[in-house]
Amino acid sequence: MVRWPRDRGLQARMMGTLFLLALVYFIFITVLAFIGVDSLLIVVVMVIILLLQYFFSDQLVLLSMGARVVSEQEEPHLYETLTRLCAIADITRPKIAIVDKAVPNAFATGRNPQHSVIAVTTGLLSMLNQDELEAVIAHELSHVKNRDVMIITLASLISTAAFFIFRNSFMFTQGGGRSRDQNLWFVIPILAASVWATSFLLIKALSRYREFSADRGSAILTGRPSQLASALMKISGQIKHIPTTDLREIEGMNAFFIIPAISGTSIMDLVATHPSVEQRIAALERIEREMEGHVV
Amino acid sequence: MWFKKALDSLLGNTTLPSASLEKLFAISSASITMQSNLDLGPSPRAGICFKPIESSKYDSARKEIEELLAFSSKETGSTYKIETDEYRFTWVILEDPDFEDLITGIHLISQTLIEKGFGAYLLCAIFRFGEEKPVYWIYNFKQGRFYPFIPVLGKTRDNAAELRIKSLFERELPIEEDMGKWYPLWGIPL
Repeated sequence: MVRWPRDRGLQARMMGTLFLLALVYFIFITVLAFIGVDSLLIVVVMVIILLLQYFFSDQLVLLSMGARVVSEQEEPHLYETLTRLCAIADITRPKIAIVDKAVPNAFATGRNPQHSVIAVTTGLLSMLNQDELEAVIAHELSHVKNRDVMIITLASLISTAAFFIFRNSFMFTQGGGRSRDQNLWFVIPILAASVWATSFLLIKALSRYREFSADRGSAILTGRPSQLASALMKISGQIKHIPTTDLREIEGMNAFFIIPAISGTSIMDLVATHPSVEQRIAALERIEREMEGHVV
Repeated sequence: MWFKKALDSLLGNTTLPSASLEKLFAISSASITMQSNLDLGPSPRAGICFKPIESSKYDSARKEIEELLAFSSKETGSTYKIETDEYRFTWVILEDPDFEDLITGIHLISQTLIEKGFGAYLLCAIFRFGEEKPVYWIYNFKQGRFYPFIPVLGKTRDNAAELRIKSLFERELPIEEDMGKWYPLWGIPL
């Protein structure tokens, strides 16, 4: 039996990040409650935002990216490539969308496999060969299977709330009638800002781990880790050559892209949503060795 | 099961479902009904499709399959060919006038792949019935179930005929209930 050993280290880091995130959020909410902030309004607003994101984020993302969902008749080859991967993994087949852009990239969106869409740019289609294309689709399919959109959305929710509180903290500092201790109100903006900053870093770390998991998923699904490595090299090589003006339009979508369209390697690994291509290729090479049964 | 799936998602863990061979032989008795009720005889060719993977263990498994095929074709007089399609999947096409030998051959190949640990990469086995307008029974190894596939000109399929044939064989064959998983396969090399 060819075993696919789990990446225990990666899973431990992921659990650790999720735990820290939950801890930060728990402290935040507890302190807010202690100070006596009437958090009902915030909760209601956040739940509405969450529901909106949950049900409409896929359409919004597709719309903002100019992605057009295509039918099986329009793109038989793409669909068949995806179909076979879905049959092997026994996953409900998502839809496919095409983005008419020269930047080679791909992303996945949707709250669950039934409502998911995997989008690829025309630049990607013209650049990759069949094996590499399959590897990229398998990577996006792994995002769908892992529910990454939902997990990152949920993980960011309280972070977004903290940011919202920080920006509007004057609102809370004025009406302090119900507060237990008037002197504690000045803590709120500081607390909110630090919760936002900490959770921001944690979410970035989480999304990097999700990327590694999706790469691993792609390697397992296709049985060919080297094809994803080759695709990543081609895509990243191309992205560096494209002028930054084009890239700004798509920077907002970075968390879901296969390779983020940030030019240069400026702001360090700590805040990047994606691990560096070198790290990802190194991880894929490790999987390749695992497949040969070598001890890693 | 539900819990394990959720945990796998949360941890980003990917496991492929393993292949099941149990129900493959059900096509044997169904072929008699196909002949007697629908006048669709089995074609002398059947195929199995799987995904080749990057590993020296896979290479040796494939070599073993080729040796087994060469050996069994001497025994039974069936012929075989191995093809790679445009999606880089491997097809083994067996040809034998005896339908039982075809099923045994398909079983042998899938059994070998499963024993070597590559069962997860088995896509499907295909049995063809009828000459002019073929009806295919596709065996999905992941579900351990069959589903009908009746392609017509171009890339369309005759859903009405597929549903009719499903209702006819519901008792005889384990048929995939979720029609979302009746994946078409265009350009079947049979």
